[in-house]
Amino acid sequence: MPDTQKSVCEQRVFEEVFNTHSKTIRNFIYYKCGDSAQAEDLTQDAFVKLWNNCAKVPFEKAKSYLYTLANNAFLNEVAHKKVILKHQKSVSSIASHESPEFIYREKEFKKELDNAIANLTEKQREVFLLNRIENKKYKEIAEMLGISLKAVEKRMHGALVSLRSEIKEFKK
Amino acid sequence: MEHQNNDTYLAKWLSGEMSGEELMEFKKTAEYKDCKFIVDVTAGLETPIYDQQKNFSATLNKISNQKNTTKVRTLIPRWAYAVAATVVLFLGYSFFFQQTTFQAQLAEQTTFLLPDGSEVMLNADSEIAFKSYNWDSNRTLNLTGEAYFKVKKGSKFTVKTKEGTVAVLGTQFTVNSRNDFYNVTCFEGKVKVTSGKLNHILTPGNAISIQDNIATPYKTNEVTPSWTAQESSFNEVAIYEVVTELERQYNITVSGKENLKIAYFTGRFSHTNLQQALTTVFDTMEIRYTFDANRNVRIQKYK
Repeated sequence: MPDTQKSVCEQRVFEEVFNTHSKTIRNFIYYKCGDSAQAEDLTQDAFVKLWNNCAKVPFEKAKSYLYTLANNAFLNEVAHKKVILKHQKSVSSIASHESPEFIYREKEFKKELDNAIANLTEKQREVFLLNRIENKKYKEIAEMLGISLKAVEKRMHGALVSLRSEIKEFKK
Repeated sequence: MEHQNNDTYLAKWLSGEMSGEELMEFKKTAEYKDCKFIVDVTAGLETPIYDQQKNFSATLNKISNQKNTTKVRTLIPRWAYAVAATVVLFLGYSFFFQQTTFQAQLAEQTTFLLPDGSEVMLNADSEIAFKSYNWDSNRTLNLTGEAYFKVKKGSKFTVKTKEGTVAVLGTQFTVNSRNDFYNVTCFEGKVKVTSGKLNHILTPGNAISIQDNIATPYKTNEVTPSWTAQESSFNEVAIYEVVTELERQYNITVSGKENLKIAYFTGRFSHTNLQQALTTVFDTMEIRYTFDANRNVRIQKYK
């Protein structure tokens, strides 16, 4: 394996690891705390620790090492804010019809969805958003969080059930 | 409807792992419709903008900064205290016993304050050195070149030069000591000039120039030395010294000055216009010279 030759201690490799993972880690923390500045701070700290321990962390282990660090750092932080996500300009691709009523309902729906996501438990939210926004597979998420595949599926299922029950528009 | 995996079937459906038969049944439910909608909308969600470059440089910053903090946290070895004490002693020694030196380079003038607040203005290519540790009781300094002093009242203030010593109490005066040329001008107070066996007391408006052990006293109307106002003035000074001063003020080389006949110059030249200064000095003394674009001045031989 050529990758085993790579050392995180080389600045070029370190930068490569940063460019590959930093955004997802930032978002991963953001899904938990809803504070992008704090998320970026913790992400930077995780990379600082990776750099300090670069000799002990093989290149292939860097990713899970970073997630563990970021997650642990997060557990030590107390500040939590509401997770706010931006909707893309239009979700009309989903809609087969665009009546004024539908547009109104879509608006209402977005508002309710935002609240419902904010009300998910932290564990459900991180799994759900890592899958939906970061397009991570259950297996990858399980590796990132250091939990079993089954646990990821349970959280994912729980998130969908919870979202559905929170959104009143469905009950009309 | 019964699902095989009661607490994960929605996850299985989303990842496309639901079995065909179960999926067909599931698609008929309102739950499917709602979940499909949620899943489609959430796929279009976006996180706050992420500036990767900015974060990378912030990370590198933290790395370089924390290196310092780690060093601080490590236990300080005993020898470090010894080193620290030595450094303190050394610094203290430097502060108290070492000479302080101030310099003005060619074509440059500099002003600074002595420890008691007395002011010194150094003319071009001059140097002054003094000991600051007991300055208030022993105000003595060594001068090479030319300087203007505004002395605060206090104990005796002495300027030592190769040519002689100037001692004063609160006053303003200049000392010019270069090679064999020695010139002191008093602007305020009283100055005592000693050179060899010569002793002179200067009062304001009086000056003395000593060349070849001959003292020539003269009067001046200047309130401050002309060179502190971008000019050099001379009172019957050997032309060779005047040309040397030109070289110092403009950082130029005048070649052929050894061919100059003995003559004495009285007058002044500006520090801001070389062409004009050359005209002032050479034309009045009827000296022919050439001056090129590279600021090389050559004195031509007398016919």
